[in-house]
Parts: sequence; C-alpha cells; structure tokens
Amino acid sequence: MVVRSRISGSPPRTYSMADLVFKNITRFFAFLVLLLMAAIIVSLFIGALPAIRKFGFGFIGNAAWNPVTNVFGGLVPIVGTLVTSAIALLIGVPVSFGIAMFLTEMCPARLRRVLGTTIELLAGIPSIIYGMWGLFVFAPVFSQHAEPWIDSHLGRLPLIGPLFSGPPIGIGVLTAGLILSIMVIPFIAAVMRDVFEVVPPLLKESAYGLGATTWEVVRYIVLPYAKVGVVGGIMLGLGRAIGETMAVTFVIGNSHRLHSSLLLPGNSIASTLANEFTEAVGRIYTSSLIELGLFLFIITFIVLALAKLLLIRLSRLEGHRS
Amino acid sequence: MTKNLPTAKIVVRDLNFFYGEIQALKNITMDIPEFHVTAFIGPSGCGKSTLIRTFNKIYKIYPHQRTAGQIILDGVDILQEDSDHNRLRAKVGMVFQQPTPFPMSIYNNIAFGVKLYEKLSRSGMDERVEWALNKAALWDEVKDVLHRSGYSLSGGQQQRLCIARAIAVKPEVLLLDEPASALDPISTARIENLVIELKKDYTIVIVTLNMQQAARVSDYTAYMYLGELIEFAPTELIFTRPSRKETEDYITGKFG
Amino acid sequence: MRTTDFISVQSRRRSVNFLSQAAATFTVCFGLFWLGWILLTLLQYGLPGMSLKLFTELTPPPGSPGGLINAIAGTFFMVMLATLIGTPIGILAGTYMAEYGQTGWLSPVTGFVNDILLSAPSIVLGLFVYEIYVVSVGHFSGIAGSFALGLLVIPVVVRTTENMLRMVPNRLREAAAALGTPQWKMITMITLKASRAGIITGVLLAVARISGETAPLLFTSLNNMFWSNLNQPTANLPMMIFDYAMSPYKDWHHLAWAGALLITLAVLGLNILARSFFKQKPLGR
Repeated sequence: MVVRSRISGSPPRTYSMADLVFKNITRFFAFLVLLLMAAIIVSLFIGALPAIRKFGFGFIGNAAWNPVTNVFGGLVPIVGTLVTSAIALLIGVPVSFGIAMFLTEMCPARLRRVLGTTIELLAGIPSIIYGMWGLFVFAPVFSQHAEPWIDSHLGRLPLIGPLFSGPPIGIGVLTAGLILSIMVIPFIAAVMRDVFEVVPPLLKESAYGLGATTWEVVRYIVLPYAKVGVVGGIMLGLGRAIGETMAVTFVIGNSHRLHSSLLLPGNSIASTLANEFTEAVGRIYTSSLIELGLFLFIITFIVLALAKLLLIRLSRLEGHRS
Repeated sequence: MTKNLPTAKIVVRDLNFFYGEIQALKNITMDIPEFHVTAFIGPSGCGKSTLIRTFNKIYKIYPHQRTAGQIILDGVDILQEDSDHNRLRAKVGMVFQQPTPFPMSIYNNIAFGVKLYEKLSRSGMDERVEWALNKAALWDEVKDVLHRSGYSLSGGQQQRLCIARAIAVKPEVLLLDEPASALDPISTARIENLVIELKKDYTIVIVTLNMQQAARVSDYTAYMYLGELIEFAPTELIFTRPSRKETEDYITGKFG
Repeated sequence: MRTTDFISVQSRRRSVNFLSQAAATFTVCFGLFWLGWILLTLLQYGLPGMSLKLFTELTPPPGSPGGLINAIAGTFFMVMLATLIGTPIGILAGTYMAEYGQTGWLSPVTGFVNDILLSAPSIVLGLFVYEIYVVSVGHFSGIAGSFALGLLVIPVVVRTTENMLRMVPNRLREAAAALGTPQWKMITMITLKASRAGIITGVLLAVARISGETAPLLFTSLNNMFWSNLNQPTANLPMMIFDYAMSPYKDWHHLAWAGALLITLAVLGLNILARSFFKQKPLGR
C-alpha cells in the first residue's frame, strides 16, 4: 500500500469560497434581525408622525380622546397599561415566588415533576382564553361577590379609599389587572423555579446541615444566589403584562375617561389598539393610535433593556460564578 | 544524537504560541522524523498539546490564539497566512483525548472525511471504509452494524472509530492527543498496538501523560516543561540516560 | 436569661418558617385554583359544542348552525406559512451568532435585540406589518397575518438555535476541523445535526405560541366568514373566537367556546409534543 501518492493525485479542492458564502449568508440573517427591529421602530415613528406633529409632547399628558373633534391624548391608555401591569406584578410576583419555593424546597419529588410540567403547560394557554373566561365567568362573579365588599370596606379607607370605591360592574381596570396576574403567574413561576433549581445542592445541604430552616435556606441561600434570574423572570412577566392584548381587551371596559377608581372601566394601549384601530377613520386618529403603539414598544424596550443592564451589572459585581 | 536521524517530516523553528496575552510555547525548535513515532511527555499544562495543535493549525478555529515562528511541513511553511488550513488538515490527521463520533452512522463517520477531498465510487467507498476500520482493528466488531449511530459504540470502540476516521482520509501525519487517557486498559493496549502498526505508513506524534506508554510506543521522546522543550532524544536514551537533570527528575518521579 | 432568649429565638425561627411554608403552600393552591377554574370553564362550555360539524361546516351567520372549518383551515395555513418564513431566518441568524459570533459586535447586539423581539408586544408586530405591507397592497390578507406570526417565530428559533449550538461541545468542532472539514460543512452536517432535536423543539414551541395568538392578526389577516385564499382576509380560529365572543349572539358564544377549547387542546398538544422531542428543559422561551 503506497501511502503518499493519493493526496497529490486527487484534484485540489478548495472550500474557501463556499465558506465565505455561507458565513455571509448567516451574517446577513443575523443582520436582518437587527434590521427588523430598526424597521419596526422607524415604521411606527413614520406612522405616528402626523400625530406627533399635531400634539407634540402634550400627547402623553392629555386625557382627551375625541374622534369627533380630532383631539387625542395618550394619558388614559398609558396609565391603564402601567396600572394593570403593576397590579399583575403585585399579585403575580409573591405568588410565583411561593410556588417556586414550594416546588424546589418543600414538594415531594413525584409531585414536583407533575406540578412543574403543569405550570409550564399553563404558560402556553393562549391569552384569548383568559380574556373570555374573564368576561363571561370571572367578571359576573367578581361584580356580585367581591366588588360590593371592596367598595364598602376598602373604599372607606383613608388615602387609598378612592382607588377602591365605585359601582360593582365587574369589568374595569382592577379586573384586567387581576386577570393579567393570573396569566403571568405560570410564566414567572416557571422562570423562578428554573433559577432556584440551579442553586448547587451542596450549598443548600450545608445550610440545612447547620440547622437552618427551609425558610432560612430560601431567604439566605437560594434567593441571593438566584437573584439575577429572579429579576430576569419578573421582568419577563412585566414585559408580558405590558404588551398583553386579548386578556385585557375583554375585561377592561374600553373607556377613555380617567378615573381615580380601579373599579371603573379604563383602557390600556393594547386594548385601545385592538378595539379601535380597524375602525379608525382619518389620518390623525390612525396616527394617534400608531403613536400609542410606538409608546407601547418603547415602554417594553425600556423595561427589557433595564432588565438586561441590571443582569449584566449584577453578574459583573459578583464576578463569574460559572 | 543527530547523526542517525531519519528525514524530518515536520521542522519546527523558534515557535512561540499565545493564548491572548499568555505565552504557552517558548522558542520551540525541533525536527519530527518521518515514519516514526514521536512522543511528547511532561506535566499537564506544559504545552505539549498546544504544540501538536499547531501542526494542523487546529488552534485557528479559536480567536485570540496565535503563533510566531515557523513550522515547515514538506518544505512549506504552514504558518503562512495564505496556506489553506483545510488541505493541511487533510494531510495532518488528529485524534483527540475524548472520542468524538459525529452524529451519523458508523459508515458515514468514516465516509464523511473521505468525501471531502476524494470522489470515490460506491464500492470504492465501501472498500475504503472497510480498510480504515480494519486498520483501526474495529472492523470485526462493527461490520454488521455499519448503519448504526456512532454513539451506540462503547468508549474504546468510539475512539478506534475516530482513529479509523482519521486514517481513512490517508493523511501523512497522525497527531494523537492523549488518545488513550479516557479508556480502559484493554482498549489502551489495542490502541498502542495500532500506533506501532501504523508507523510503517505514517509519521505519528503522540501526546501522553503516561510515561510507560511513551516508552512502549515511541521511537523518539520529547520532554516539555512550562512551554519549553527541555529534551528531545531517542526514547531509549531519554528513559535510560537523560542528559538533563529536569528530565531525569520527571521520569524518576522526583518531580513536584 | 440566656436560655429564655435562646428559646424565644428558636420559637420565632420556627414560627417564621412555619408561616412561610404555609404561605408557599397557599400560593400553590391559589395559582392552581384560578387555572383549574379556567380549564373547567373551558371544558364546561366548550365540550357541548364539540361535534363533527366543527370540522365540516363553515362559520355560520347568527341564528343558524355551522362549524369552524374555514377558521381551522385558515389558522393551519397561516401558521404553516409563518413557520416556513420564520424558521429558516431564525436558524441562519442563530447559527451566525453561535458559530461565527465569538468576535465582533454583531452577535452580542443581535442577541440583545432578539431578546427584545422575543418579548415585544405581539400587537405591535401586527401594527408593523399593517404599516409596511397591508397599507402598500391596499387590503388585509392571510399573507399579512402570516408575516406577523412569522415575526413571532423568528426570535424563538434564533434563541433556541443559538443555545443549542452553544451546547455542542467544541471537541466535535475540533474533530471535524481536524479532518479538513470546511466550516460551512461542519456547521450544516455536524453541529446543526447534533442540535437537531433541540431546534425542532424550539420550532414546535414557536408553532404552539403562534397558533393561539390573536393580537397580531387584528390588523393583518382580519377575519372572513367564508373560504378565501391567503391573499384575502382569511378566517382563523383566534379572530373567530374574538369576534364571536364579543358578539351579542348566544349561539356564536357557543361556537367561540368550542373554538377556544379546540385551540387550547392544540396548543397544549404541541407543547407536549415539543417536550417529548427534547427531554431536557426547552430553552428559548
């Protein structure tokens, strides 16, 4: 067997051209993702330009929304978006934290898998289902059994009283916030459980070995170790809540009045768009709606960018753990 | 010691290697003889793997790793920027510490590399696959399961598959980076026999942590320490009468 | 003195622990209560509407019987087209980030932007497609809907592809390179192949996600009571559910619930299928 002849005998093939082509194709598509983002912002901005020109910065602070006189302001939907998201996090975060703690530290192993998978699957239920359920099932029950009590008890409290007084009509900002909170629970809980699970068992075992209670292990070992992921999970949930359309549109009431009470109907950016965009007539009306969409995008952008920066800073401060 | 040296296949001159800012090889100069087995020994981190990874420029797939100096293979400086490293690697094969079958059948694991640089007929390819598996002493064990995934084999078999894959493209030089360190003694013995068998046709370079292994399989041995080549000589000389104190300390186990 | 202090500290620790555990258990019940209620409602209202007619008849006008076949078909084709658009783009972009992105600015920046797209409000994506496509062709269409859904697929597939490729050990790349394999062949035939299961999982999760999305379709595909091609407004399940549920007609409500149950089952089924493809935790959510 002659070993040395055949390489020189085979035709010289070079692949550098093919390599270059393939690399640049993939690079193009990576670039396309950036381009998409830029295109979204630019196209929304152009669409919003007539409204921006007409209303300027006053758009944000103006509560008027009048298609007849063609005067539009984004205050009500912007506030509605922020308030419903805040309610969702206020309820969703502690509940998700409890679920994650139960799943990782208290739950028997067999139940853990079932429960964990259930939560992951629930995170996939389409949001329109939450909206329908909210409108047809939750809102009637809420208006009959909960809102009269809220009005007569919480509504009497000093300071926060005005937030909770109003007629029991079932749909409104509070209902939307509650539905949103139910919706984000599986999301946040799934992320929190994931990050709790990567805490090295040795760390927890040594704490348990010192006689620490479950709560102390979670509070002083798991939480500090996993805080970066926890913040990430919360931000992810917040991003969801801010942009959520269907779960909110069904139950928020579609009203452009600014109320002090959470029991009364309101609007979020997404629900305003869903309700009015296809029916909007006239350039300024459409353009105002697009400006709202631009704001929605900017708000989520800021939330996610902050979350990312926070995560980068946290992981820098702590040095590399992996 | 230079008197009876055979022709040099690879000529290394003033080779330096950097991982970013860290220098891992310092002024290496040596000749790797053709159709012999050259072993590199030394404590972990001494640069022996780094050195053989320059012979096929595999370090090139990572950014921030660079060389300075010359490596001349068959009269051509392979470190020149314009040399085609894919063709170089077809000529200089390599087997790694851990078995790395590709996610495909046993047959295709072998055929994959061959197809890159040769056009063979179906029967030609069948022959080549059988030839390579035979060389790697694996044919009898896998001839009936060639269509099965490469991952279905045991660790020792996987490593021999990787050797077969490297041989199948008929390289001229074979680099073995601790090829038996992850294997049981029986598989190790098979691979050592294989190395001795293969040196008739190939120039073989083997990195090993196991000094007995170096003594058993190699004709020449190089001892490296902290990125420097301390001593390079015929194997029996190194293990019986090393000329440097450091080599002797390492071989007799006084080291560290 | 010291013993009593010790005992009181101990008992406080114990009661804090007890309270926290009770609270955690309560949160689990709280979460499951709502979600269980929602699923029960879905079954209660949706099951009576389950019949073969759903799959054979067109969506009816109010007051007459009918099914959802045009909406089911519309959703099916739009989701398929969106997946066909989004998957190749996502895989190629993710491949660049994992395989070529060790140096340079493009990979980290794309990763950052991709994460934002991953959580971008889907209604804004609908608005975007309306602005650049619907306005310029002058009418709503299933194709526009597919574009909007495709924009949701891309970031999921990018993220999964990148993560899966990064999990491929470098020694496989070294082994391929050591044979003289050019990089494009190494990527297409070895590393992408090794991450196949994970990428399929990502695609299936993306399909599950877009199947139930309503918001991006509001201004793109719109809805249609009849058969249509994808270049016209196209019927689809989520929009049909939305329109019917918001209507004042009782029989439309029943159909909406049946559709809701159908889509939930489909989405859950896809999720389970995706999980069975890849036993490990799916990434790229």
